Amino acid sequence: MAIRVTLDRILLDRRMSLTDLSEKVGVTLANLSILKTGKAKAIRFSTLNALCRVLECQPGEILSYEPSADDVLEEAADQAAE
Amino acid sequence: MKALGKGSIASIVQIGLSFAWVVLWALFIAWALAAASYLVFILLTTIGVVDPATIPAIESSEQVRIQVEGIDPGALRALQWTDWQIFAPALLVGGVTIGGSLVIVSRLRRLFDSFTTGEPFRRENATHLRVIWITMVAIELSRYVLLATLGVLLGIFGAPDSVGSASYSINAENFSTWMSILILIVLAEVFREGARLKEEQELTI
Repeated sequence: MAIRVTLDRILLDRRMSLTDLSEKVGVTLANLSILKTGKAKAIRFSTLNALCRVLECQPGEILSYEPSADDVLEEAADQAAE
Repeated sequence: MKALGKGSIASIVQIGLSFAWVVLWALFIAWALAAASYLVFILLTTIGVVDPATIPAIESSEQVRIQVEGIDPGALRALQWTDWQIFAPALLVGGVTIGGSLVIVSRLRRLFDSFTTGEPFRRENATHLRVIWITMVAIELSRYVLLATLGVLLGIFGAPDSVGSASYSINAENFSTWMSILILIVLAEVFREGARLKEEQELTI
C-alpha cells in the first residue's frame, strides 16, 4: 500500500499515547493499532474527522503517499498503454 | 427455520455429513480389505496354489455380465473371479470414488462447521470449495481413464466371452456432475470475493 499512516509521529509530537487517543476519538485500541501499523484497508471520513479534531491537524498530516514498486510498475504500464 | 447458525438447516446437514463420514470410512476399510484379498487371491491363482477351476462362477451373473456390442448377452459366459481385467479397474474405480468422497465430505464438514457458527465468508471456505470441485473433476476424469483402461484390458486379455470391442455409454448423471462442478467453480469464487469484502470491511477503521 502506497498510503502511509503517520499517526505515531503525530502522537509523539503531541506527547499523547494511543490509549488516550483511543478514548478521545472513540475508536478501539485494536482498530487504532491496525491503523497505526498500516494494516488498515480503508479509513472512514468520520474516523479521519475525529482524529483531526482530537489531534488538531489536517488529514494530510496523518496520511502520506509514498509510491511502492507496484505503483511505479502500474504507472509505467499506464504510460505504455497511452 | 434459519439457514445458518446454531439449530439451523446447516447444523442438520452437518449431522448428516458426520454420518456420511463414518459410513465412508467403513466403506473405505471394506474396499481396502476387498482389494487386498483380491490381490492375494490373484497371486495365489497365478502361482498355482489355488486352482481357478475349483472356484465357482459368480452367482446371478445376468447382472454382472459384460454387455458387448453386437453380441447376444445370453451367449456370454458368466463372470469368473479370475477375470482380473474386470475386477482390477472396478476396484480402482471404487477406490478413487470412495477416496474422493472422503476428501469431499471432509471439506464439506469443515465448510458446514463455519456455516453453523454463522460465519460463511471465510477465505478457507473458498479453498474448501475449490478442493471439492478439483476432487470431483479428478474422480470424473479417473473414472473415464479407468473405463478406457478396462476397454483396453478387455481388448488385450479378452472379455468373459473373449470379445474385444466393448462399448460403454456416458449416462445422464455425468451431465449433472459436470454441471455441479461448474456451479462449484463459480461458488468458490463467490466465496473468495465475499471473504475479501468481509476482510476489507473488517479492516476499515
